[in-house]
Amino acid sequence: MSVKKRVPMREQAPEKRIHNFDSVPLGYSREEAVQEAKRCIQCKNPTCESGCPVKMKIKSIINEIANENFEKAFFIAKEDNAVPAITGRVCPQEDQCEGVCILEKKGQPINIGKLFAFVADWARENNIEEHLEIKDNNKKVAVVGAGPAGITCSVDLRKAGYHVTLFEALHMAGGVLQYGIPAFRLPRDVVDYELSFLEKIGVEIKLNSIVGQNMSFEELRNQYDAVFLATGAGAPRFLHIEGEKLKGVYSANEFLIRVNLMKAYKFPEWDTPIVCGNKVGIIGCGNVAMDAARCAKRLGAKEVYILYRRTRKCAPARREEIKHAEEEGIIFKEMVCPSRIIGNDDGWITGIELVQTKFEGFDKSGRPKPVNVDNSQFVMELDTLVNALGTTPNRLFLRNAPELETHSWGGIKVDENLMSNLEGVFAGGDALTGGSTVIEAMGHGRQAAAAIDKYLTK
Amino acid sequence: MEHVITKKEDLNAADYLIEVVAPEVAKKFKPGNFAVLITIPEGERIPMSIQEAHGDKITMFIKRLGKTSKELDTWKPGDAFHKIIGPMGTPPPLKKYGNVVFCSDLVCGHAENYAMCKELKKMECNHVVSIQTFPTEADIYPEKYLCTEVCDEFILTTKDGSRGRKGHYMDILKEMMEAGKVDQVFAGGDMPALRDLSALTKKYDVPVYTTVRQIMVDGTGMCGSCRVFIDGEMKLTCIDGPMFDGHKVDWEAALSRLAMFKAKEAEAMECYLKKMEGIE
Ligand SMILES: Cc1cc2nc3c(=O)[nH]c(=O)nc-3n(C[C@H](O)[C@H](O)[C@H](O)COP(=O)(O)OP(=O)(O)OC[C@H]3O[C@@H](n4cnc5c(N)ncnc54)[C@H](O)[C@@H]3O)c2cc1C
Ligand SMILES: Cc1cc2nc3c(=O)[nH]c(=O)nc-3n(C[C@H](O)[C@H](O)[C@H](O)COP(=O)(O)OP(=O)(O)OC[C@H]3O[C@@H](n4cnc5c(N)ncnc54)[C@H](O)[C@@H]3O)c2cc1C
Ligand code: SF4
Ligand code: SF4
Ligand code: FES
Repeated sequence: MSVKKRVPMREQAPEKRIHNFDSVPLGYSREEAVQEAKRCIQCKNPTCESGCPVKMKIKSIINEIANENFEKAFFIAKEDNAVPAITGRVCPQEDQCEGVCILEKKGQPINIGKLFAFVADWARENNIEEHLEIKDNNKKVAVVGAGPAGITCSVDLRKAGYHVTLFEALHMAGGVLQYGIPAFRLPRDVVDYELSFLEKIGVEIKLNSIVGQNMSFEELRNQYDAVFLATGAGAPRFLHIEGEKLKGVYSANEFLIRVNLMKAYKFPEWDTPIVCGNKVGIIGCGNVAMDAARCAKRLGAKEVYILYRRTRKCAPARREEIKHAEEEGIIFKEMVCPSRIIGNDDGWITGIELVQTKFEGFDKSGRPKPVNVDNSQFVMELDTLVNALGTTPNRLFLRNAPELETHSWGGIKVDENLMSNLEGVFAGGDALTGGSTVIEAMGHGRQAAAAIDKYLTK
Repeated sequence: MEHVITKKEDLNAADYLIEVVAPEVAKKFKPGNFAVLITIPEGERIPMSIQEAHGDKITMFIKRLGKTSKELDTWKPGDAFHKIIGPMGTPPPLKKYGNVVFCSDLVCGHAENYAMCKELKKMECNHVVSIQTFPTEADIYPEKYLCTEVCDEFILTTKDGSRGRKGHYMDILKEMMEAGKVDQVFAGGDMPALRDLSALTKKYDVPVYTTVRQIMVDGTGMCGSCRVFIDGEMKLTCIDGPMFDGHKVDWEAALSRLAMFKAKEAEAMECYLKKMEGIE
């Protein structure tokens, strides 16, 4: 095999995997991982590391894998990233570490994500754990929201000796990792294992605790020495076009929460139902849209359409997700924009009216800007529609914290240390950005932990 | 947290009462709030109005309806819920309204009727009338669970006139509005009746808060399943409601969306009954 090419990742065949929720990639074997790691030329100036938002020591980790020192590789990985098993699977590597790997130009970049997932899985299977000596101090920190940002911040603060209480609104921790990203991308035993680490080191997790509802923000501020807000951006966004009241129209959040958190794909053994028809349309082309589309396929839909106003080349979804979706028979309808949802007398959706789009100039992000083509409406029959248009910060918490400064769209305003306008109240993750990546949220968690430590020891 | 059932009692042939330990919910309860229940790990997240909170316990009135409520009906004191979350919802303010009438004709309405009247009455500035409608005499709840003691004037009606006044709360309310004695109406229960009530009160220009039940998943404002349209604006019943200005509710959409999972609910019930047959 040419060293320019990656050691291929074995995957479940598309015709088989569309009938289950098991992991699509099967993971590298020991031999495959070593072989892939050996392709790395150990650059003097490893550009890959500059592409990683948390600056993982990629070169050294890969070197250890190549030398079969998996344990050492794992511990180096853990220095900068609490959950390499997760980021290895969900990071948009093509825009980050792998996108700037020197081998990208000569063939295929090193499969950094899958190598790190391999090492972390190996450690889990072999019960390799960090041995921590935590020196308790007498300070208490409250972390609100158990997604990637909250988890990372809790771990770092606990390691530094703080008493950390992690409040989570839902009945399971994990945030998007639990309710959003499907198990065929991120197996739940991986998530559960990483979460069990929190309890092992003594982070107190309080589930079903909705700050702003069964506990007020003010109480929290009074009871703790500092607060980290990592409440994410979980509120659904709709297009506000005609027909969104119809039955069969979902937000991606509802669709994915039913499937992933509530296990509707196991209905009726599990109680939560989902209604998914034969012709399903998904509006949007990000990771969320791909997840919804591939879930719909697995729920038995015959035709699943991605409806997108640009082309998939400018789509925000990870490249791997688009490829997997294509393999699974998801149909991409590009350059269309929904104008109205159509229903019958019983209030069920029967179709969608779409307008053709064309590119004209560029928008603020530098992407080609789609505009509607006059008189190009056409109707497409559908029996299920999922809005995957992105999300906004949840009003429930913000309503209870009117003194907290936010942007007009609800994102929390912070300074360079991630501190909000309120003394001792820090924030990070999607609650600031309105939606980005797991690794960026984790980066915020880490940065905030350091800032909180500094704030409380000054 | 162990959510142990401390009391379970039949209210009538269809409805039962459950009292359960839920300190976090009880501590912050306000009349008009609901709780989200998960009975078993595989269970659904189900919204349920809270009738009363006392100490570390809450009580709820529950109708035997589908899979979850029937399975729960086989439970006994000592059994425990998997999870109880809440209190949820943003109830209307407890303030001076003047002559208030609270109407209800179904379990969830009865629970809120009790909870809200009790507090509204405590405020001296309100004159609180509670109207409770049951189909027939046999359906009437035990005295202590009616609103008799928690309001200034209690009116019991049965649809067939077998006890109390004959008719639906709507008939009585209409008379009261004719006489011009009503400043604010609250109501909960059967949804089509609430739609009609909204139209009726509008005719008399009397403001009304009605419960709008919608299918919920998370109950925390994340999924949009419970969306309703108030004066054309999208609101979420779980965090903005479940009580809204009835005059502004898009009732057609609300009634329609409530039936979205009918076929699945029937399937769940059938599956549950089969399983129970297997056990017997
Ligand atoms: C379907 C989907 C797929 C995605 N795919 C990818 C991907 O492949 N790669 C990638 O890098 N990123 C992906 N993302 C984005 C990524 O998941 C998010 O950027 C990241 O999870 C943000 O982390 P967070 O900790 O800020 O918030 P979240 O993960 O949203 O967690 C916030 C938590 O806070 C809780 N919470 C909210 N309000 C309260 C309150 N008042 N009290 C207590 N708790 C509260 C919520 O219940 C939630 O558990 C995806 C997102 C979605 C929705
Ligand atoms: C704010 C609110 C307060 C409520 N208060 C009460 C109460 O005090 N007492 C009571 O008996 N019932 C109450 N309900 C209704 C209760 O949630 C349903 O009866 C319960 O979910 C039925 O579950 P099931 O499995 O027994 O029946 P299913 O067969 O699953 O459903 C029967 C009917 O219940 C409703 N329903 C089902 N699932 C949900 C859901 N996830 N969310 C909302 N409604 C659903 C639908 O109308 C459905 O047709 C309330 C609902 C809401 C939204
Ligand atoms: S954390 Fe993400 S970006 Fe960084 S090395 Fe790992 S996979 Fe690449
Ligand atoms: S840039 Fe690529 S080849 Fe160079 S050290 Fe990083 S992973 Fe290895
Ligand atoms: S139940 Fe999900 S938003 Fe209300």
